[in-house]
Amino acid sequence: MAALVETQNLKKYFKSGAGMVHAVDDITFKIEEGETVGLVGESGCGKSTLGRTLIHLNESTDGKILFRGQDVTKLNKKEMVKFRKDVQMIFQDPYSSLDPRQTVSDIIMEPLKLDGSFSQEEIKNRTRELMDTVGIEKRLRMSYPHELDGGRRQRVGIARALALNPKFIVCDEPVSALDVSIQAQILNLLMDLQRDLGLTYLFITHDMSVVKHISNQICVMYLGQMVEVCDRKELFAYPLHPYTKALLSAIPTTDIHNRRERIILKGEIKSPINPGPGCRFASRCPYADEGCRQGVKSQEVRPGHVVVCNKAKEINQL
Amino acid sequence: MAKTRENFFGIRHLTVKYHSGNSIIHAVNDVSLELKAGETLGLVGETGAGKTTIAKSILRILPESSVESVEGDIWFEGRQILDMNDKELQALRGKSISMIFQDPMTALNPVKTVVSQIAEGYRQHQNCSKAEANKRAIEMLEMVGIGADRAEEYPHQFSGGMKQRVVIALALACSPQLLLADEPTTALDVTIQAQVLDLIRDLRNKLGTAMILITHDLGVVAEVCDKVAVIYAGRIIEQGTLQDIYDHPTHPYTCGLFGALPDLDKDVERLSPIEGLPPDPSVIREHCDFMERCPYACGKCKKFNNHMIEMTPGHMVRCWKANEEE
Ligand SMILES: Nc1ncnc2c1ncn2[C@@H]1O[C@H](COP(=O)(O)OP(=O)(O)OP(=O)(O)O)[C@@H](O)[C@H]1O
Ligand SMILES: Nc1ncnc2c1ncn2[C@@H]1O[C@H](COP(=O)(O)OP(=O)(O)O)[C@@H](O)[C@H]1O
Ligand code: SF4
Ligand code: SF4
Ligand SMILES: [Mg+2]
Ligand SMILES: [Mg+2]
Repeated sequence: MAALVETQNLKKYFKSGAGMVHAVDDITFKIEEGETVGLVGESGCGKSTLGRTLIHLNESTDGKILFRGQDVTKLNKKEMVKFRKDVQMIFQDPYSSLDPRQTVSDIIMEPLKLDGSFSQEEIKNRTRELMDTVGIEKRLRMSYPHELDGGRRQRVGIARALALNPKFIVCDEPVSALDVSIQAQILNLLMDLQRDLGLTYLFITHDMSVVKHISNQICVMYLGQMVEVCDRKELFAYPLHPYTKALLSAIPTTDIHNRRERIILKGEIKSPINPGPGCRFASRCPYADEGCRQGVKSQEVRPGHVVVCNKAKEINQL
Repeated sequence: MAKTRENFFGIRHLTVKYHSGNSIIHAVNDVSLELKAGETLGLVGETGAGKTTIAKSILRILPESSVESVEGDIWFEGRQILDMNDKELQALRGKSISMIFQDPMTALNPVKTVVSQIAEGYRQHQNCSKAEANKRAIEMLEMVGIGADRAEEYPHQFSGGMKQRVVIALALACSPQLLLADEPTTALDVTIQAQVLDLIRDLRNKLGTAMILITHDLGVVAEVCDKVAVIYAGRIIEQGTLQDIYDHPTHPYTCGLFGALPDLDKDVERLSPIEGLPPDPSVIREHCDFMERCPYACGKCKKFNNHMIEMTPGHMVRCWKANEEE
């Protein structure tokens, strides 16, 4: 399988009063066609920024983004138009991302209208088809977003994202705001769509059971950088990075009699403003030493399992 | 009838209606709850179930223009909240009772730095100098994992979860006695979430802060709550201690919620959502509100008059099946 999306040393910095926020800092990774890559990490570590930069909603600061092997920053106008159709985003809060004054069918048909290459008839048919695909009842065609429940609103967001037959969708916490039962409906829908339409997803979430359920590969991010990448089952069975271990240990469980042993992270969180060299987790890592503050290297310690930690082997007795 | 109650905090027969177009929305129907100082209650239920409306009723911040009526009884330390005047309410809000809103931007001012917002909130209720308030604000930010070097930034420069953390810092700065937390940790990763939950537990242990935690995350409820109330279509349909609800979930809706969760220890192809949708809130039903979606619905349900059945002391269930299983 070929990589559909790939980054090389991708960087995205923001200006802040105190210096530059290194939101995405030197990220190299890829997403295979037809797969779902789950992205997890501390809030503020740069997940949304990475997602937005990947599909060029943010201008990148440095590095490369390849889509089907083509450098996205070097696309000509026509290629850019095509790229914009191929990549889409679904947001956490479908309410604030949908125009409150537009009806459901207006919202879904807007990208088709803006595209300019469809007849009235085609737009109508396609809109009907999309509503069907995502499971919105026809009678809701003329409803406004505020009249819908969260699950249906998210379905509208998904229908709109699907309008122009995208190949790649960044799903930024698409089910976080939904109740568990509706969350299950939307996750089932996203997985069905992937199977039927051959979609590729970058799936950002804080819910570890959701990410395990939906992903093929999982990437763990910490302060602008990837710290661990591997298959979903591998990650839960053999978490190697000290941050990943803490993350997995903190998952709240509904089993009130067998609580997990928590790893409580102490120490100051390093600022993403001009963070400097060395491992960014060092200030909170129980294994940190002087070497970690000097620099950190990435290594494949088990087949297909990459971890960015100098002591991964030692800590995990590999 | 307004009557002074003994307990620290409670709600009795709360019924809230909104008007919307030509119809009346029955958002909260006859809800009763009680809390002792230091207790944490988890309020669980689908969107539109009435959770936020309950929290806003407590602080008396419902949108006046769309409220049709608020009936019932809400007391805090022996005083009736529904009878308080503006001045009393002002003193209550933010100091004795504070709320963490579902959407962080309702609580944040987009044109002020995060540190100044927390400091201002603190100074409103605490007699202290600007410098002291600032110090407290930075302390609070650090407590939720935001370093001092980011304190002078504006909300739009923060990620969703960071904004939520600022709101949490804001709500906790005055060490309230009762905290109403509306989905406070949904936008947070599990490590920061654990930190925030620890902070809340700490407040409870040190200051006896009580909390109503509104969430759909059953894992979070299991971590911090002593009691749980499950709400469906504006009514509490099951209520009890954490053990009651997690060891003996009884109402079919409660069981459905547990069944819909993806399980970390099991691999399944498809998740099992509760089929169907919540009922129309503009209609008041005589029979069980869950009937249209309930996998166990049968002729007997039509005759069930929708009252609470006490299974074991304090474990209440609004379904006739609760009796059968005894
Ligand atoms: N428009 C912006 N201007 C300035 N800084 C920004 C902007 N957007 C994001 N940042 C900063 O970049 C960093 C990463 O933010 P991002 O929104 O990508 O985090 P995230 O991982 O998606 O977090 P969350 O899980 O809370 O959504 C944060 O430090 C944030 O403050
Ligand atoms: N301002 C309002 N005007 C009219 N109806 C409202 C308003 N706010 C909430 N509602 C309705 O009241 C019910 C309960 O809503 P809410 O308390 O927000 O539920 P929850 O917080 O459990 O999701 C829903 O049917 C909702 O649509
Ligand atoms: S490189 Fe060092 S500080 Fe960083 S995670 Fe590994 S052991 Fe900890
Ligand atoms: S009363 Fe009947 S319909 Fe209602 S929850 Fe119980 S079994 Fe289901
Ligand atoms: Mg984000
Ligand atoms: Mg709500």
